[in-house]
Amino acid sequence: MANQGKPEAGAPAPAHGRTVTLWDPVVRLFHWALVISFFAAWGLGKFGPDQMTLHFYAGYTIGALVVLRIIWGFVGPRPARFTSFVKGPSAILAYARHLRDRRPSNTLGHNPVGAIFVVGILLVLAVQVGTGLIGDPEDYVNAGPLADMVTIETSRSALGIHELLGNLAFFFVLFHIGAIAFYKRWKGEDLVTPMITGKKVIEEPAE
Amino acid sequence: MRKLLTAALTTAFVLPAVAAMAAPPEDVVKARQGYYSLLGLEMDGLAAMAKGEVPYDAEAAKAHAANLQVMTTYSPAGLYAPGTSKADMPGKTRALPEIWENFPKVGEKGAAFREAVGELASVAGDGLDALRPAVGKLGGTCKSCHDDFRATDF
Repeated sequence: MANQGKPEAGAPAPAHGRTVTLWDPVVRLFHWALVISFFAAWGLGKFGPDQMTLHFYAGYTIGALVVLRIIWGFVGPRPARFTSFVKGPSAILAYARHLRDRRPSNTLGHNPVGAIFVVGILLVLAVQVGTGLIGDPEDYVNAGPLADMVTIETSRSALGIHELLGNLAFFFVLFHIGAIAFYKRWKGEDLVTPMITGKKVIEEPAE
Repeated sequence: MRKLLTAALTTAFVLPAVAAMAAPPEDVVKARQGYYSLLGLEMDGLAAMAKGEVPYDAEAAKAHAANLQVMTTYSPAGLYAPGTSKADMPGKTRALPEIWENFPKVGEKGAAFREAVGELASVAGDGLDALRPAVGKLGGTCKSCHDDFRATDF
């Protein structure tokens, strides 16, 4: 990104802050499409009709989104790239030590701790899609499209994992929302607006 | 001597008592799984048509549906003898103990299943477009009961 980290041209900077372009349209579209398809898939899986066609469509959408995000993590703009935000233990611990500070992190991208969530949810969703594709609930109408390629024992185990991971992913999402609320209330940092507009306001310490 | 006495007493008193009891739990589980395997065999043929894996055949569809109807007249009470849950026989069955704690709800699921079989039987010969939703609905009644009363894995 050409203007990465640079003040936004033409836009008046708010008092005590400068605006930078952070999230590209693909990342934003991915994020909100994933929000919708995740809650659709999870809700339909738990409470939906016994003929799970819509759950399947939501799952296919998630699969496509995860593939898109992984590709984008290699070829997208810098803040979207895995190499820019996946950090080793020392960087994670260094960031975590300041997590409770009552000031914005001003990270231009995923912070090292948040990166664990990003990679974690992508992994969980990838396994979730995979186990859904080969799972077979033995009701003859909701078998995964690839269930025939594995043994019935594998299909059963896959379904067991699918149910467990569905709950795990849901708790991941709750934790994610909790973390965003924590950043807003405790650290005074708005993480939601940049994911909508793509622009982040970096608060500068008052002189 | 003591061992001999134990053996003799076991033979004399315990064995006849066991023989007089209901079918061994292992046999109940085997019969139960057999019952659902029979249902599954018929469903397999119907689902293959519904999914387009094999061409629709009105006579075959009607035969599957008729067999399922026969199965709905079988009283499954004996298949749910006490002491045959997954908790009693881990690794042998996926039947959750909740079945024995909530027979009325199990009965409702069974009624929905029988109703769906009835509907299927009435449309099985009317073409693929009529068969497909009926098979879907019937499969849905399988899932509905599995969700609450059958463990995902052994």
